[in-house]
Amino acid sequence: MFLQTVGFGIVTASILALAAVGFTVQFSVTNILNLAYGDVMTASAFVAYVSATAGLNPWIGMITGGIFGSLFSYLLNRFVYTPFIRRGSKLFVMIIVTISMSLILQNVMQIIWGPNFFTVPIPAGSSVRFLGMIFTTSQIVIIAVAVAAMLGLHSLLTFTKLGKAMRATATDPELARNCGIRTKRITDLAWLLSGLLCGLGGVALVIDLGSFQSTTGGEFLVPIIAAAILGGVGQPYGAMLGALVIGMATEMAALVINPEYKEVVAFGLLIVMLLIRPQGLLAEVASQKEVAA
Amino acid sequence: MMAGCQAAAHAINAAGGVLTDKIKCQGFDTRGDPADAVTAANQMVATTSNLLGVLGPSSDEANATAPLINAASIPMFADTGQASFDHTSLKYFWRLLPADDVKGYAMALYAISKHYLRAAAVFGNDLGSQSDLPTLLKAYRQLGGKMVVTQQIALGQPSYRTEVEQLLAAKPQVIFTEASPQADATYLSELNQLGHLVPIIGTDATIQPQWLSAVAGAVGKNTLAKYFVAEQPYAPATGPSWQVYQANLMKSGVSKPAQWSTDSYSMSDYDAVTIMALAAAMAKSTNPAAYNKLIPEVTNPSPGAVIVHSFAQGLAAIRAGHKISYVGAAGIIDFNQWHNSTGGFEIAAYLPNGNLKLVTGITAAQIAPLIK
Repeated sequence: MFLQTVGFGIVTASILALAAVGFTVQFSVTNILNLAYGDVMTASAFVAYVSATAGLNPWIGMITGGIFGSLFSYLLNRFVYTPFIRRGSKLFVMIIVTISMSLILQNVMQIIWGPNFFTVPIPAGSSVRFLGMIFTTSQIVIIAVAVAAMLGLHSLLTFTKLGKAMRATATDPELARNCGIRTKRITDLAWLLSGLLCGLGGVALVIDLGSFQSTTGGEFLVPIIAAAILGGVGQPYGAMLGALVIGMATEMAALVINPEYKEVVAFGLLIVMLLIRPQGLLAEVASQKEVAA
Repeated sequence: MMAGCQAAAHAINAAGGVLTDKIKCQGFDTRGDPADAVTAANQMVATTSNLLGVLGPSSDEANATAPLINAASIPMFADTGQASFDHTSLKYFWRLLPADDVKGYAMALYAISKHYLRAAAVFGNDLGSQSDLPTLLKAYRQLGGKMVVTQQIALGQPSYRTEVEQLLAAKPQVIFTEASPQADATYLSELNQLGHLVPIIGTDATIQPQWLSAVAGAVGKNTLAKYFVAEQPYAPATGPSWQVYQANLMKSGVSKPAQWSTDSYSMSDYDAVTIMALAAAMAKSTNPAAYNKLIPEVTNPSPGAVIVHSFAQGLAAIRAGHKISYVGAAGIIDFNQWHNSTGGFEIAAYLPNGNLKLVTGITAAQIAPLIK
């Protein structure tokens, strides 16, 4: 039972990691706490649903959902958030703007889709047993997508000029600009990258849930933000670790204590961790790496 | 509410009205919020002359407004399911629909009738879902069943696999459930993936279109049809009383009346207005304080009472000096000492085409011994 629970935690962590890393990449570069993130996940899921029901391979639907998330996030920043930033809006105002966008997106989706539930038609596939853990085929694909996305992001941030420019912009945008980095372009790319992970995370989430409606993504925003904060705000690797901790903690709480309290345990753990390490799990490690790079 | 009220008003007015007074339905918007509902109730009581009675209050506002309406001596036919009104002392409170907690008895009775002696209870940890659980646990144990696992699941989780594994390890023959559509869809699809579904008995909350579309999407329509049934208040869309209701509904001027034809809540509202009118006719007064106490006298079956299926029939019988027992569009009405008429339940199955099929009925008489 313990190993099975670990397996379940890995699936949850994979979905959370896709979404949380996307969230934190965008936050680290732009400093905008985008609370409409969960709703962009839902919108991406609807795009995947439409492409799958139109006859495309459902897994292609995941890619179309990711691409939609990427473009939509870029446009959201360009045409909604950036005008506020240009006017010098502070963090609190931006939070209100993102909450407003969240409500607008939810309501628009509700107008289009109604209050009904939808299912991306991907069969769960047969169960696979591995080291005492059980996964369905679709869960294995989700884990593989998450691992591939994390490795891709790691390579991007570590081995490419673009990644270094993103890290530099995240650390000190003014200094980065003075060093010749086109920070505006980097910001656009961060929204595109963040949106891609957001879209992939949204589609992975609704495939795993089985069904979804216009409010589904928004309902999962809290564990996503928790994973991002736990790892250290703005730290992609921290968000990966945070997702793993939150995913495992919720499943273990259900096994050991009571399913009713799995959220309480996960967030209790988050509070305790932040009391001990307010900067998050990997913030210090990451900052040392920035210096070294 | 307006559909049932207007259908009844049409029937009563066509029969000459209540002691020559015509019935008119007027809405008061409570916004589903206790604070707004108190204002609306006060406004209704203060500004409405010749108020015969009230349809409502409903769950969200009942605790706040029922005492106010009672204090104004206005009979109310509530559609709240709150168990706190099971033994109410409010003199003007009446309820035709079963209380939430009674559903648990119906579910347990059906499970035992199918010889399911090992069960799992999977309920959301929200207040609405939890309201059915205590009576379900009590009745199932009382009837000889063993609840092998009781799970109160946190809503809005990306996964319930660990809970599902625990449930599978307990090997239940049946699952009782009520949780949000999203939570139950995820839970049951994971159960389907990790093991296999077993028969599922849901509350009436699970028989709503949203729940059915979410879960059918997640586990497949055929799979859901194979394993799932749910209880709901029994309101047969047949019989002479329903035919009168249906005829008056169609002529009442209500927009798209057909949608209310089989709605048990609209039928109850229709019955409530009819009952108040009959009681007023019997009391020869539209003063609520005069006719309120006669409400059980026009409904409850009693020796020698003439069975009537409409206001017109009831009025004629009263004028002829008979005792009457009004059988409502939603079925037989039999108020207990706390002004509750529990009524029966039906067990309905889901069909792959999205419709529901009546499986069996659970009568109020079957439930009564369990409530004691």
